[in-house]
Amino acid sequence: MQNPYIPMPVEVVNIVTEVDTNDIKTFRFAFVNKEDEERFQYLPGQFAELSILGKGESPIGIASSPTQKGYIEFTVQRVANLSGGIVTAALHDLEVGARMGVRGPLGNSWPIEYLEGKNVVVVGGGFAFTTLRSLIHYMLKEENRSRFGDINVIYGARTPGLLCYKEELAAWEKRKDIRMHVTVDKRDETWTGREGFVPTVCREIAPSAENSVAVICGPPVMIRFTLPVFFELGFSKENIYTSLEMRMKCGIGKCGRCNVGEKYVCKDGPVFSLAELDTLTREY
Amino acid sequence: MIGSKGSLNADHCEKEKVVFKKITLEKLGDLVSALKEKGPLYAPVRDGKAVNFQKITKTADVTLDFYNTVFSPKFVFFPQTEDLIRYTLQKEGAQAEPVPIAASPSVILGVRPCDAKSFEIMDRHFLGAGIIDPYWKNRRDNTVVIGYAFDPAAPPDPADFYNTVGIHAADTEGSDVFMVRKDGELLLKGITKKGESLLKGLAVLDAASAQDEAFFDETIRKDRGVKTRFTEITDTAIAAKLVGSFEKQEIWEEMTASCIGCGTCTFVCPTCYCFDINDETLFRKGARKRFWDACMFTDFTLEASGHNPRPRIFQRYRQKVCHKYSYHVTKYGCISCVGCGRCTRSCPVNIDIFSIVEKVANL
Repeated sequence: MQNPYIPMPVEVVNIVTEVDTNDIKTFRFAFVNKEDEERFQYLPGQFAELSILGKGESPIGIASSPTQKGYIEFTVQRVANLSGGIVTAALHDLEVGARMGVRGPLGNSWPIEYLEGKNVVVVGGGFAFTTLRSLIHYMLKEENRSRFGDINVIYGARTPGLLCYKEELAAWEKRKDIRMHVTVDKRDETWTGREGFVPTVCREIAPSAENSVAVICGPPVMIRFTLPVFFELGFSKENIYTSLEMRMKCGIGKCGRCNVGEKYVCKDGPVFSLAELDTLTREY
Repeated sequence: MIGSKGSLNADHCEKEKVVFKKITLEKLGDLVSALKEKGPLYAPVRDGKAVNFQKITKTADVTLDFYNTVFSPKFVFFPQTEDLIRYTLQKEGAQAEPVPIAASPSVILGVRPCDAKSFEIMDRHFLGAGIIDPYWKNRRDNTVVIGYAFDPAAPPDPADFYNTVGIHAADTEGSDVFMVRKDGELLLKGITKKGESLLKGLAVLDAASAQDEAFFDETIRKDRGVKTRFTEITDTAIAAKLVGSFEKQEIWEEMTASCIGCGTCTFVCPTCYCFDINDETLFRKGARKRFWDACMFTDFTLEASGHNPRPRIFQRYRQKVCHKYSYHVTKYGCISCVGCGRCTRSCPVNIDIFSIVEKVANL
């Protein structure tokens, strides 16, 4: 029996600093053992526990797509402070070639099957864009693209320097099979694109609710103001999905930490429709 | 009622010959020695005023004169701390080795019926849903549980309420062998195949008579009448009531006002399973460990961002009660409480969980 608490060894093969504040980096890992790579079958929206012995583990969404073979990527913010962040700080100190561990894939995924044949509106804010990036890569892959309808992406950050995956955003802008709406809260002299908060941009673009699903991930304040816009546009709670965050340890529904109502966020989530969230106890 | 058909029922002995044995109490030491030869033995040991299960090194330490232990025997399957990986940190990374899961067959002697039932409840979580916990499974598969009826002559402790959750003072469910005390003797009956084969291999035991068997059955019948508290609660009714009470904040604040959030109740509880995983390193050598943790602690849900969804004690206490009596029912089909009364007996501010459940049931 495979022990679910023992991480698989990986090697850091690439590190990209995503933002001008230097506290968000994307780490690319290659599996040390070939059979681990085969075992690690995932879908966009799932997460994994990143393990550094001597420091601990941290649950992080998978930023790469299963269509990208040979590696997995995680975009991680350094959050060292009094209440935690030990693992992310240690991770940020790593260099290419370092060995560490990954445990996963964990949790459910974005509702890929449900999205098939529908228009998809992807809404992301700041660095919570990671698993949405995975979803976009997945849907844009040649053999997958025809399974989905129109794809609209609304992605915002506070400043141009805080946008992640800048090269990919530019490449997607050039494509005809995806409509990108990248925005910043406050422009600077380098920025020629859109300025405005994500909820405002959503209202301007006004994607049709007809046969559409909205997939939203961002800071709580963004979600709070974005949801009413989608309700106004006629999206039902069954057709709005988001991903929850909560403190986790085991990631497999055993340790009890992320329990909300009858659900474990790690095992039954992290992806929930708003209709599902409505049935949970109101603690969050 | 706690779910009636546990997994162990499958290999409950059929109508064929039951294995029924006895031994006099003076020869308890011989029984203990014989069990000890089979592998590690866990049994009640007196330490000052308290009796607790311990791994037995000296035969004479074992006592069967106790009401119930302070800590539950869950640690046999789920130790308070346990190493998952041991490592040495080096410049070029860590040298690490997963700790093999110990698999020697062991015996727990003298488990009260409510505690025996708690193992089956924990099975639903660790074995019955999703990924199987290999640590729990391994120890559970290799352990024989010898249950021990409460003494029908002694009055039940006022903190207990096992009868209200459908467990009797001489309930055999969850035990592999069940033990009843008759004057100066112990009667032992095989309940599962695992228990029967253990009994068959113990030469120190004598065969029991038809009279003994009648006494055994009579004890079990009589013990159904032992009442500890008088409000009957049913799984689905209390589960729904709790969900309904969730947003009545003032009631929860009032009921839990004296709670200091010490978490003692969860540490003595036989069905609390929440744990933490942390790395402990000293001079480059260390281990990734899992530890008991508790939803009663402030930092249980504290996130690295500083956000804490349950910063107040009433929220954490409400989580504990709702988890045991509502979420667990929806998820696993039974209440996650066996009414052993440990949390009430150990609480430094005298909070009685059953009074809280009762109050919500009568809202």
